[in-house]
Amino acid sequence: MEAAPKAALFEKTMLPHLDAAYNLARWLTRNEHDAEDIVQEAYLRAFRFFDGFRGGDGRSWLLAVVRNTALTWLRREKTAPQVSFDEEMHGPGSETATVEAKLVEGARFAALRNCLDLLPAEFREVVVMREMEEMSYRDIAEAASAPIGTVMSRLSRARQRLQDCVAARMKEASK
Amino acid sequence: MTCVPAKSLLESYLDDELDAAQRVQVAEHLASCSSCAGVHAQLLELRAGIRTHAPYYRAPAGLRQRIQVSVRQADRQADRHAPAFWRWIAIAAAILLAVSAAWNIALFRSRTSSADLIAQDVLSSHVRSLMGVHLLDVPSSDQHTVKPWFNGKLDFSPDVRDFAAQGFPLIGGRIDYVGGRPAAALVYQRRKHIINVFTWPSAATDGGPELDRNGYHVVHWGTSGMSWWAVSDLNVGELRQFENLYRQ
Repeated sequence: MEAAPKAALFEKTMLPHLDAAYNLARWLTRNEHDAEDIVQEAYLRAFRFFDGFRGGDGRSWLLAVVRNTALTWLRREKTAPQVSFDEEMHGPGSETATVEAKLVEGARFAALRNCLDLLPAEFREVVVMREMEEMSYRDIAEAASAPIGTVMSRLSRARQRLQDCVAARMKEASK
Repeated sequence: MTCVPAKSLLESYLDDELDAAQRVQVAEHLASCSSCAGVHAQLLELRAGIRTHAPYYRAPAGLRQRIQVSVRQADRQADRHAPAFWRWIAIAAAILLAVSAAWNIALFRSRTSSADLIAQDVLSSHVRSLMGVHLLDVPSSDQHTVKPWFNGKLDFSPDVRDFAAQGFPLIGGRIDYVGGRPAAALVYQRRKHIINVFTWPSAATDGGPELDRNGYHVVHWGTSGMSWWAVSDLNVGELRQFENLYRQ
């Protein structure tokens, strides 16, 4: 099947960022099936708005669409557990961490993954974009539709929370 | 630099967002201050932990294809459900035709040079290609795919080059008909602008001033027995920059 010029240009610009789109959606929803649906829907939306794309590598533009689609989905989804970090900190200890406590390194990384999952979505997404996609502050700001200053402070607070959360988990595990 | 400004710059330093002068200042401070160096080390450790052990989820197999199918389907539906769009295209085409007819008459009267005739041909071809009818016969960004594709379709082999590194990625090619003979049309992209480049063997290998028609710019040049014509709505400066890439 031959694609029409608009579709061909869209595919050429946007499909190279499929993994980035999926990874972000997967971390935002914490669920592979939802992530897949969201990415597919986001690509359709992106195609519809493609005339508004102002060039560039397209990744942050596409991620902005993925993010909006995912956030709409998260708001709709009442069942999604919105566990905030603070509740978790003052709540009972995590089973994940205790089960793997014998392997300290293993526990550290299980804790890290778990702590990342527990970050509020707007913190989690900046960590994913900065640390996994290695995006610049400017690109993250575009994708998150937020000023650069906000991106910097979210990133900084997210790192602080992650460090505190991992440290708390490790302390629990060593008890 | 003291600890207070250094700590406030530490994460921008980690994320490589500082200018060279600030970077040096922070690095010097870190070398002499164990407290800040400790904070920096913890941040590095966190980063290493995330990059090594937090999973990067790659798109599952088949998702790419499902997206392609749904996008192309949406594209066809948009064609069907957007009569207003096509009406505008039809109006634009009618205006273009009228302009082109008027232009032809003007040309005829003023016995304009052959370069102008070719420019007009090139421009019409460019506009036709953008109307969504037929832009690419061979959609590929690989010069080694596009060049051989012309084999057997033309009596010459065009010099196909990709300038993706310079910001003019090749997106494909097609056969077109310019100045009464078949020509190779190479299609490039600059941001949202499409550049059509036409080439065919010709003894007239000299270039000339750019021609501006209805908001489009046309530049032409010659290299070793080949005529080259590039047309786009891109500004003349960048179009000339593109020409220079080809001339090199």
